Amino acid sequence: MSLSHEREDDLVQKLKEAFSNDIKETNIIRRGRLEVTVAPEKIKEVAVFLRDKLGFDHPNGVSAVDYNRENRFEIVYHISSMRTKDMRDLVLDLKESVPRNAPKVGSLVSVWSGVENYERESFEMFGIQFDGHPRLEKLFLTDNWDGPPPLRKDIRFPTD
Amino acid sequence: MSAPSKPVPLTTVESTETSDSGAQTLTLSVGPQHSGSGHMRLIVEVDGDIIVNVAPDPGYVHRGIEKIIELRNIIKSIPVIERPSIIDASNLNHAWVRSIEEIQGVEVPRRGQYLRTLLNEMNRIMSHLYWLSIYGVFLGHTTMFMWPLGDRELFIDLAEKLTGARITYSYLVPGGVRRDLPPGFAEEAVKRTEYFEKRLKEYDRIFFNNPLFTSRAKGIGVLSKEKAIELGCTGPTLRGSGVDADLRKDEPYAAYSELEFEVSTRPDGDSFSRAMVHMDEMRESCKMIRQIVKKIPAGPIRRKAPIVLPRGVAYGRVESARGECSFYLIGEGGDKPYRARYITGSYRNMAAIPAVLLGNRLADMPTAWWSIDYWPVEADR
Repeated sequence: MSLSHEREDDLVQKLKEAFSNDIKETNIIRRGRLEVTVAPEKIKEVAVFLRDKLGFDHPNGVSAVDYNRENRFEIVYHISSMRTKDMRDLVLDLKESVPRNAPKVGSLVSVWSGVENYERESFEMFGIQFDGHPRLEKLFLTDNWDGPPPLRKDIRFPTD
Repeated sequence: MSAPSKPVPLTTVESTETSDSGAQTLTLSVGPQHSGSGHMRLIVEVDGDIIVNVAPDPGYVHRGIEKIIELRNIIKSIPVIERPSIIDASNLNHAWVRSIEEIQGVEVPRRGQYLRTLLNEMNRIMSHLYWLSIYGVFLGHTTMFMWPLGDRELFIDLAEKLTGARITYSYLVPGGVRRDLPPGFAEEAVKRTEYFEKRLKEYDRIFFNNPLFTSRAKGIGVLSKEKAIELGCTGPTLRGSGVDADLRKDEPYAAYSELEFEVSTRPDGDSFSRAMVHMDEMRESCKMIRQIVKKIPAGPIRRKAPIVLPRGVAYGRVESARGECSFYLIGEGGDKPYRARYITGSYRNMAAIPAVLLGNRLADMPTAWWSIDYWPVEADR
């Protein structure tokens, strides 16, 4: 397998040309793994561009990460392309950060309908609000759960 | 902060409503008792016997595994990683060790890679057989319940010889695998896979070519190619809709680049297609097992790997029996991960449940639903 990063460099180039001010950071972890951090208010535009212009039509999942020491949540959309066969080994992590005390972002369900369940899980486990989500309710937690969002870093197990 | 809670129905029939057209619909609660395998509920709205609305309600077997592994050493987490899908334990185990090795920069010796592939493929057969036996139950076909569970023992015994455990192996560790091949394993594996392939022909005769099955599965629960891609479906569900995506080919890991096998796809996207993809995959796995025991290279099975997770990030994924299983792993230098996001094939395919059920008759629900091979425990984690 080739280890060159030409394909990834090319994607970064195209993104930077289209959104010169909104791409905050890009990072090629290795061949086939690419991180792109964008401003939360621009994430939907970037997502539509990725889907329509660069072929990223397949959501692999959404992760929320609690960086409590930096007082922020990071939301990571893992997306890939099924349309382009030679891009199937590539996963692009589209990231955005929100302040921990006001965790509110726009939902990307209208871009990739498959992220609906993952956003719901990030909502119940981290308390992140997704604006425009069609059904922002609990997914896995029990109906009578009224405690804090359990996957946040400041929630400890009694045995810790 | 608390989320608005879902209504808890006290009866099986939740409510009756009258729609704009004057038709009366009925909301049913299917589950959460064991309706086949694993606890989950589907809230189904029917108009007559046509399904007009479906809302999956998972979470009855949620164990908070992401939190548990954040608080444990990366090696100690291996047994708990396997628990969401014990019938497919080694594939989930593989995704975990693969992401750890990616951050650590550890290379696994080739013999170790072959042994991992061997157990993964045996596990794929065992998992598909379990799926098939439950499919038999769902369709009221008792023979198809008994046979796959019986034949599954062929591979459970083999796995026990290799790893010492029947179901949950904890066989893959960062750097390689725990044990080498026992003496006489290759001959036994060839004998058993050849016998099993003969059995698969009998499965075809009694079940897959049987009008009892084909008339209930063809054209039922259709998931189009575009929809399957957009919803992020994976594994046999995606391949049954005509997308030839398989991580074993697209992003070859372990020993897959050195093995010959076909990726099975079917263009129709119905329940029958998804079932046939499972059958094809079992045949391909048998071929792979024989290739592995024939050409496994000599050498060490494990390389020493550190017990800590250095600072770094990895998205490690493998093709498990139900599709892509991945870990988004963040290390910060300690022996525990800072964050370990765990996404399994069933969780991803949950999005397809409403898509395949809508518009079908209630009586077709078992055929369509179980063809997705949705494993509630794996989805809930």
